[in-house]
Amino acid sequence: MGTSVLCLEQGPWMHQKDYPTNFLDWESRAMGPFASNPNVRRLAQDYPVNDSASPIQPLMFNAVGGSTILWAAHFPRFTPGDFRVKSTDGVADDWPIGYQTLEPFYATNDRMMGVAGLAGDPAYPYHEPPMAPLPLGATGNIVASGFEKLGWHWWPSDSAIASRDYEGRAACINLGPCTSACSQGAKASTDITYWPVAQRKGVQLRTGCRVKEITVRADGMADGVLYYDQDGVLQEQKAEIVVLACNGIGTPRLLLNSKSPQHPDGLANSSGLVGKNLMFHPYALIRGIFDEPLNGRRGPGGCTVWSHEFYKSDPSRGFIRGYSYEGTRGAGPAQEALWGMAAGLVPWGEGHHEAYARLHGHIAGMVAITEDLPEETNTVTLDPELTDSNGVPAPKVTYTLSENSKKMLAHAVERGKEALSAAGAVETWAEPLLRPAGWHLMGTARMGTDTARSVVNEWGRAHDVKNLFIIDGSIFVTSAGVNPTSTIQALALYIADRIKQNIGNLFD
Amino acid sequence: MPNATDPLHDNAFMEAFLNLVIPPDEDRRMPGAGSLGLGAAVAAAVETDSLLGHAVVTGLRAVRDAAVARDPAGLPGLTREARLEVLEGVLAHHPAFMTGVARHLYPAYYQHPRVLEALGEPARAPFPEGFQIEPTDAALMAKLLARRK
Repeated sequence: MGTSVLCLEQGPWMHQKDYPTNFLDWESRAMGPFASNPNVRRLAQDYPVNDSASPIQPLMFNAVGGSTILWAAHFPRFTPGDFRVKSTDGVADDWPIGYQTLEPFYATNDRMMGVAGLAGDPAYPYHEPPMAPLPLGATGNIVASGFEKLGWHWWPSDSAIASRDYEGRAACINLGPCTSACSQGAKASTDITYWPVAQRKGVQLRTGCRVKEITVRADGMADGVLYYDQDGVLQEQKAEIVVLACNGIGTPRLLLNSKSPQHPDGLANSSGLVGKNLMFHPYALIRGIFDEPLNGRRGPGGCTVWSHEFYKSDPSRGFIRGYSYEGTRGAGPAQEALWGMAAGLVPWGEGHHEAYARLHGHIAGMVAITEDLPEETNTVTLDPELTDSNGVPAPKVTYTLSENSKKMLAHAVERGKEALSAAGAVETWAEPLLRPAGWHLMGTARMGTDTARSVVNEWGRAHDVKNLFIIDGSIFVTSAGVNPTSTIQALALYIADRIKQNIGNLFD
Repeated sequence: MPNATDPLHDNAFMEAFLNLVIPPDEDRRMPGAGSLGLGAAVAAAVETDSLLGHAVVTGLRAVRDAAVARDPAGLPGLTREARLEVLEGVLAHHPAFMTGVARHLYPAYYQHPRVLEALGEPARAPFPEGFQIEPTDAALMAKLLARRK
């Protein structure tokens, strides 16, 4: 007899026919109902986030598939060294598990998500993506040429995008804006990868259900949840095991909203670390204008090449740890105009068309994804006034950019401009800290073996509540300098496997 | 007669104003934003913009008032040079004004079929046709494969 699994999801099922690229005004839709920022989107299933005390805005999407609906699908793994920065660099903490523990789950996940890539990247242990890499296109070629001329590391991105028909998904047709959802279904999002499989296995899914709190028994163990259904009626659901996958903001929010006499500071919070050590990846954006036409809006926007040239610590650089570059393409005509306006390159009035013509279809660039080190002063707390539409207290994010991150970002901007100039850019510009860039939400219920310094153990079980598991980015110990989704998913598979393997003595 | 209270819905004013922000360019076959009739789209967007909407409406009102002070016919009655003088005078006192205008005008303009065609872009939704992109540079790939682990 199998396990009975029920998932409560606050959002709805999404439908590819409704995605922006089905429409001529796809750029406006991407900036409105498909914006990554819930405070902009303000859909019924969203909850507000008070980000007034953060230079980086948290981004997320609430639906079946979650933020994979809107992600870029750039799909790097963590490197082995990312799990032991205390040992190598004397900062933060080592993870209680390593790359080798996760490797089989990375591989399973690559198959499930459908990853296109090229085996043999010297920055990583050998692994074979199941599909051939996506074509780089003119933008990827030109960014790669800059890296190549400087003798830097670069490699085609592992991308969770089908480069051929794969497991019922059609191959990518280069629609462009992956970050406003994929109408073709070529981009992996968990509503079309994992969910159909899970439902065939009998997993139940209830949409439009917003969990208010996790309830506990007299002995402090979790016994279920209270949630608002889609009619706003408070319901109770009992459970023997509760698993949270609400992201690095939603998970601490829910734990802090689950106060009880047994857990007066919030559930699983005897360490006081729930909501602390919030990590984003501070992003710098570097762009260049090229004389040759690049057709940059065509093709997956964030999936060309990556570079780990400045990934590891080098004391001569003046900062600890490092960052990766992710090649980026251009954008649609409207977004190009807005970029140009923000950079002071496209004026209104006389000269507008001439200035715009220099940009249109002539932009390529990259983002730098810097490793954010954990600090207890970067937090998710409950806002004293702000609530969601059900009256549940909303999260407040308090975050200060570290001096280390500032130095890293400045370095990344200068070296990124150098690479674009080497590639032939006639002009470069940068945003040294991208504000709408809080895609990666990590660290707020960290993993560890020391119960005083972590929230969950080495397989995701809450130290304080032995039938409560967390499987999202909040359990990250450190952030690495790459996108986290591949690692979040590998961790979720690993923890599910641990639950299954340990089911006989799960609560010991 | 200009609409006395609401410059966003004063069609003649908005046409003249938007043609100042994105003027026509005959050489590039680019139409002026006002001539495309984008006033209604901009107005709708501005009215739902809680961040910049007020600054835009306040700025528009100042432009219209300054224009009427020069000529009872308002902005449409002025020469292009006079219109620009009026607008630049207002911008000195309303720094967020043009940012808000562009935030809503540029998307409306650069998604208009006539503009897309003038740019050489297909005036269609990306899906279902999609696009072709260039293959990976074979010479670059050869160098990469030599470094393969």
